[in-house]
Amino acid sequence: MLTILCTFAALFALAILVAMIAIVVIRGAGGLSWQFLTTDARNAGAAGGIVYHIAGTLLLVLTAAAVAAPLAAGTGIISHFYLPPGRGRRAIERLLHALNGVPSIVFGLFGLAVFVRFLGLQKSWLAGGLVLGMMIVPTVTVAFTEKLRAIPRANIEAAFGLGLSRPHVVTTVILPQSAAGLVTGVLLGIVRAAGETAPILFTAAIFAGATLPRGIVDSPVLALPYHIFVMAQDAFDPAMTRNLWATATVLLGIVMTFSAIALPLRMRLHEEARHD
Amino acid sequence: MSRPRVDTVRLTGAAATAITASALLAVIALLAAQSIPAARQGLLHFVSANDWSYRAATFGAAAMIYGTVVVSAIALLLAAPLSFATAVFLSEICHRRLRMPLKAAIELLAGIPSVVYGLVGVLFLRDLMGAAFERLQWNAWQGDTLLTAGILLAVMIVPTMTTLADDALRSVPARSRDAARALGLTRAESVFSVVVPQARSGLVAAVLLGLGRALGETIAVFLIVGRADNRLPESFAGAMRTLIEPGQTITSKLGGAEPNIAAGDPLHGGAIALLALVLLSLVLLVTLAADRLRTGTFAEEH
Amino acid sequence: MTERGFPILSTAGLTVTTAGGRTLLRDVTLQIPAGRVTALNGPSGVGKTTLLKCLNRLIDLTPSVRVTGEVRFAGDDVRGGGIDPDDLRRRIGTVFQQPVTFPGTIAHNVTFAARKIGLIAKRDEPDAVERCLTAAGLWNETKDRLRDPATILSVGQQQRLAIARVLAGDPEVLLMDEPTSALDTRSTAALEETIYSLKNTKTIVMVTHHLPQARRVADWVACLCPREGAGELVEANECELLFDAPEHPGTVEFLSCCSG
Repeated sequence: MLTILCTFAALFALAILVAMIAIVVIRGAGGLSWQFLTTDARNAGAAGGIVYHIAGTLLLVLTAAAVAAPLAAGTGIISHFYLPPGRGRRAIERLLHALNGVPSIVFGLFGLAVFVRFLGLQKSWLAGGLVLGMMIVPTVTVAFTEKLRAIPRANIEAAFGLGLSRPHVVTTVILPQSAAGLVTGVLLGIVRAAGETAPILFTAAIFAGATLPRGIVDSPVLALPYHIFVMAQDAFDPAMTRNLWATATVLLGIVMTFSAIALPLRMRLHEEARHD
Repeated sequence: MSRPRVDTVRLTGAAATAITASALLAVIALLAAQSIPAARQGLLHFVSANDWSYRAATFGAAAMIYGTVVVSAIALLLAAPLSFATAVFLSEICHRRLRMPLKAAIELLAGIPSVVYGLVGVLFLRDLMGAAFERLQWNAWQGDTLLTAGILLAVMIVPTMTTLADDALRSVPARSRDAARALGLTRAESVFSVVVPQARSGLVAAVLLGLGRALGETIAVFLIVGRADNRLPESFAGAMRTLIEPGQTITSKLGGAEPNIAAGDPLHGGAIALLALVLLSLVLLVTLAADRLRTGTFAEEH
Repeated sequence: MTERGFPILSTAGLTVTTAGGRTLLRDVTLQIPAGRVTALNGPSGVGKTTLLKCLNRLIDLTPSVRVTGEVRFAGDDVRGGGIDPDDLRRRIGTVFQQPVTFPGTIAHNVTFAARKIGLIAKRDEPDAVERCLTAAGLWNETKDRLRDPATILSVGQQQRLAIARVLAGDPEVLLMDEPTSALDTRSTAALEETIYSLKNTKTIVMVTHHLPQARRVADWVACLCPREGAGELVEANECELLFDAPEHPGTVEFLSCCSG
């Protein structure tokens, strides 16, 4: 009986999720074309393509990665290599968990007050990138520290036994053997950042009129999720609807691709950590 | 040979850690500072009165808190059983070789952006709900309702909750299951009397983290909740009624135009900040509670 | 440079306790003569590895442990203000029971640490690699495959590679923690030969629980036995004196606790 219920539940859950993707892809595939991906939008998105939206999203996530990766590496090395297991490490982990749970709209409001207004960046790709970077630091750090913890103790002890100092052990053993974790973490962070709308709502994205930013102050960008968000609110023009689904398909494609690349590493870490 | 040395790795690492650690504190501090003008007006009024109108400079957020609670409750009620059953399938029932690809699929699906959910909600679920209401003759004149938002949220949080619940179930060692079966218990009995109790704290943590996600979701909810202010029911029947009417949650308010409108108005801006602070506090409470539970279960990993 | 035969390392009242209150080593006072092989014997778990790690402060890496008493290296207190623990570990190198091989080529492994510390200039590396591999008894087997990944070597060869790597730092003392317990008979013999040939220029402290090996390789033997739950030094003497004078009370206790 349990078997039947649970199998049915699993199939149902999978079916709904797959159906969601199917709805998007089926309705959006028709609007996809090489032209769509490489030309600019016209008529505020009702016609034309999404090349600058893709560029904007790329700029935002790369900035976020550039912000988050060093912070994650530093935090991971300190908490798992310099600090002994104990209160300090647990406090950092708790802070990271808490940061990870902060609603993305709250990050957006923070960015609005601090980066856009206080620092005077106005709506800018940098403000958005900084906010997104803040948001994905926990994701990157966790993936990095998982790999860090998997380094055999013997290797570290052997390096110390040779007379290498702590910073040298970091550069010769720790970083080389955990770099893959940092890469995975960055990929996962990009997956998250690419799809987020709320953080860039007030800090970086506009609906039309931007191409490539020309500076860092008052340089907003177009972005895929924001575009979908705005269009979804007044989707009555059928041409717009078709572009809407197509844009969503592109976003989904980007996110799923990066996710799929990071997945094998991620799954391996999951199982490894459990069999210790 | 003793050379004076500055551990630059430690210095830069410590700086990075300090920045990371202060991020959360900075957010809380900012919101708290900004919300002072509104808090001074009266915290009790803020959370219990139902009169949000920035034009009239009154800020009672009870309806939004109600909306947030209702939408999240619906999401949890729908998602939790489904996620748990799926997790039980993954960890107890399905064939070992099927498990990895399925788990991978679910982890992939957890990455679907919320705006895509919102889109499906707007162009698909809304009409579906509208048609359903008509068929049932429930007198709801459109599909943007609290219930719709709850359903969409439920679908959103199923992947995350399933993965977490599966982790919790997996953390119960094989010998517990084997011992139960060896005593003659059926698989169902062994799952419910042995595995689930041992995985209890991890499962509760899964629910809490799903709740946290539901509380904080903005974009998808914004698009299909109707964004109607000040809808607070007077009775239980009224409450049932609000489920099929448009409403407002904290996040749908924060994701709208008001944060920008509030620029330059300390009272309005303070109300927005206070709203965000209330939301953040709820989410932090839930996240830290889940953290407590999980550290207990996975203590050996640390 | 400590003259051969004179103590290069010494401990006085060395006691190691865990944070939970358990005593691992109690009141160990011992001298390690320079230019000789000293074997640390004793049954499993008595604290030989712990003692070894105290000698070059590798024990510092275990946070939940407290060390009291004195350890002196060439007359200086190992915990004194003027001592750099990293340099200490270069001068007192360690070879572990399970050989650790770092990712990279054989040559890369040999100069792994020495290069980083700046002991060997880039242009001198090939000479250093040959020198160290020869001293470790591995040169003939690897001279044509220096660019190959170190993981292709057998366990016995990897252990000798570990010795070559430690030698690259030009240490004065070599600490070895049961270096042959993971090896087969042939590799063990090869390793013992290497130890024998290193003896002339280095001081070697070797943990072994295998009495015949101590007899074969060592000049001095220090014996640890468990007394009241902690390891204590029961006897330390030149090998011939110890093994051939079984009436000595310390020897009797040691032999019984080691074979019992």
